Amino acid sequence: MTVILPLLFLFTAISGTAVVLVRDPARQVFAIAVNGLVLAILFDGLQAPDVALSELAVGSAAVPLLFLVALMAVRTQSPEEKP
Amino acid sequence: MSVLPYAVAAWLFGIGLYGIATSRNFIHLVGCLGVCQSATYVLLLGLGYRWGGIAPIFYDHPPGTPAVDPVMQALVLTDIVVGATLTALLLVLTIQAHKRGGSLDPEKLRPMRAGGTSGRGQGASRVSDREQSTS
Repeated sequence: MTVILPLLFLFTAISGTAVVLVRDPARQVFAIAVNGLVLAILFDGLQAPDVALSELAVGSAAVPLLFLVALMAVRTQSPEEKP
Repeated sequence: MSVLPYAVAAWLFGIGLYGIATSRNFIHLVGCLGVCQSATYVLLLGLGYRWGGIAPIFYDHPPGTPAVDPVMQALVLTDIVVGATLTALLLVLTIQAHKRGGSLDPEKLRPMRAGGTSGRGQGASRVSDREQSTS
């Protein structure tokens, strides 16, 4: 137990860095979903199960879906404006 | 361990600010802002954590058992929901900026005009260009 928590903190830092460094938004969606999953595991390790459940629902499912919807809206309206 | 949550929170906030400052795409920028928000989650939960404490659910534990701080968990729960709402609002603003400005790059956005929408201003400039070319 004394090893797991620092390891989870390090994973959180790494996945947050990955979200920033992935510059393509279509690939960043997956990094955001993985970041939400890692944050949920970290919150469970920090004895906060309700926060972990909420983060799992919001950060790992709802927010990436929002990003996908935004990407879809941007891509479908871009060819109309080109001509 | 006592320093690690604060260090990770500071690192997440710093790398999120770096991503916001160097982003060339509004959708990527909103994702970097989410990283900044996750720094606040880590900071608050690290503040309220106690070594050896149980989760603040006393259903099958006697009262007085050492537990982590439930107030911080309530704050983080509120923070997550507000963060999701903020992400949705910023993505809608991004779509509108792409519709009006024609680009997702913050450097390439046309400046906003005082009278009317920028799309109308662009149409007016196109018409004036045509008139100049025909005359």
